[in-house]
Amino acid sequence: MRSAQTVLLDNEAVQALADLGHAKHRRVLAVVEATASRNVRRAGSVTLVVPAAVQVEAGWDRMTQGAATLNRIRAAGASLDRPAADQAASLVAALRVSVADAHIGAVLSASTGPHAVLTSDPGDIRRMADHLGIVVNVVTV
Amino acid sequence: MDRRLQQLLDLLDGVSEETVNTSVRLPSQLRDAAALAARMGLASTTTELAVRGLRDTLDAFAQRAVLDAHYAANPEDRPSLAEVALAAAEIDGNPLADHPELVRQAAAAVRELKDDAGPDDVLLFAAGLAAASAAA
Repeated sequence: MRSAQTVLLDNEAVQALADLGHAKHRRVLAVVEATASRNVRRAGSVTLVVPAAVQVEAGWDRMTQGAATLNRIRAAGASLDRPAADQAASLVAALRVSVADAHIGAVLSASTGPHAVLTSDPGDIRRMADHLGIVVNVVTV
Repeated sequence: MDRRLQQLLDLLDGVSEETVNTSVRLPSQLRDAAALAARMGLASTTTELAVRGLRDTLDAFAQRAVLDAHYAANPEDRPSLAEVALAAAEIDGNPLADHPELVRQAAAAVRELKDDAGPDDVLLFAAGLAAASAAA
């Protein structure tokens, strides 16, 4: 078993992190804290990623005052560039997943594993991981 | 938030491609190792390695400082060591994630042994507890 290197957040995980009053805020913070702890001991060992389509679906506008906490958490973005869009479109066609979930799938394909995904919809993420042949630790929020 | 921390975050988030020449004294063996790694295809240049290492380290410091600032303002949001260890187990697919009571027990024990215990210390201790229990 190897430690997770890439941890992706879905839209509810992002919303939980952004909203101090969200029921899952502390739970998602615990994951962020786990990654921070590892990065302090070994810099760059794990990356938090919020794909662009997830950011849109979660309503995370980095320019608004309310997003200040989330902006500072050091989550990396992942753009929906042409290769990612092609991969995501393929996943939507094959599995009928949402655009945001499909972008998560595209990032899973292109990033360094082991992977974990924080999601409120573990079923779709597992289906995508199986389809892509990628081992993903699915963490339900 | 501390003005200097905000400035650090702004600098790390800046998108400028502007570069500067700077004088950094590297241990010669580290420089040679970096050059060798570049020749092995592990990195494009020594500069890229140095920049990546510096950025990763500063990002880690910044993330730690941001979380500490958040907890200072919202102490009830700080997850316990056991919660963080459980989260680490979950993202790793560690079977200990299915044994929260054992992880909580390990966190309590590790906290007594080490002031700056982290989640991986707890998971190692919990794995030891599980192994000892299985052997008994």
